[in-house]
Amino acid sequence: MRESIVMKIHYGTALGAVALVAIHILMRLTVDFHESLTYDAVVANYQMLGYALLLELILILISVHGFNGLRVILLELRQGSGYEKGVTYGCIAGMVVLIAYGTRTIIMTNMGMI
Amino acid sequence: MGDNDNKEGFKGMANPGRYGIERVAYWLMRITGLGLLAYFIAHIYETSTILDGPSAWNAMLEMTQTTEGHIFLTLVIGMCVFHTANGIRLVFGHAGYGVGKPGRPDYPYPAKSLNMKGKACIYASIGIAALAMWYGIAVMFGV
Repeated sequence: MRESIVMKIHYGTALGAVALVAIHILMRLTVDFHESLTYDAVVANYQMLGYALLLELILILISVHGFNGLRVILLELRQGSGYEKGVTYGCIAGMVVLIAYGTRTIIMTNMGMI
Repeated sequence: MGDNDNKEGFKGMANPGRYGIERVAYWLMRITGLGLLAYFIAHIYETSTILDGPSAWNAMLEMTQTTEGHIFLTLVIGMCVFHTANGIRLVFGHAGYGVGKPGRPDYPYPAKSLNMKGKACIYASIGIAALAMWYGIAVMFGV
């Protein structure tokens, strides 16, 4: 994929994440901050389908943005065909693992498998 | 004189004193980015404890409900806000806004893109991050 397209994805995921994380944080402030973090309150949040979808979107957007950012930093430090391939595939693998792990939490909590 | 005597390498690139606030912003952007990625991974792990029941969730939550935990979260807020505000500046810059028009390259060759608009945005990003940290402290410590 062309680097210009990768950077457009990088900026798109950033802007999307900013909007969605703002909603995520505002949800904490709709009630008392400490109360909003109690076990029952958090489980209730996860079991709202709309909120679960919001969390999943945030998970995907930040994972893509974060691991691409890490890739960019690592490629600035050193270059080379093998190194660049290793960094790219390593970052993709890290991203996939993180999304899979976070999705597992969202799905299991949303479906009451706790 | 050896070939490498005048080459500073990574140190030359990293030196924040040479290129002013723009180089400081460059480093802050990368440091906050790495910090936020580390926090995000830890946050995904932290929230997964909800699957282990209320006691595991409360035990994990207690770690963040300490003075040290609140200070750590305040730093996360600061990193997040700076990274966002400076990132928006970079998106505009990469799209060609606010970088100035090309000019004749006269000595000492000042870069048109390193202008007051950019510097003001960097200082504003740092200021907004400081305000957000102050608000975070007020909420978490109940000040």
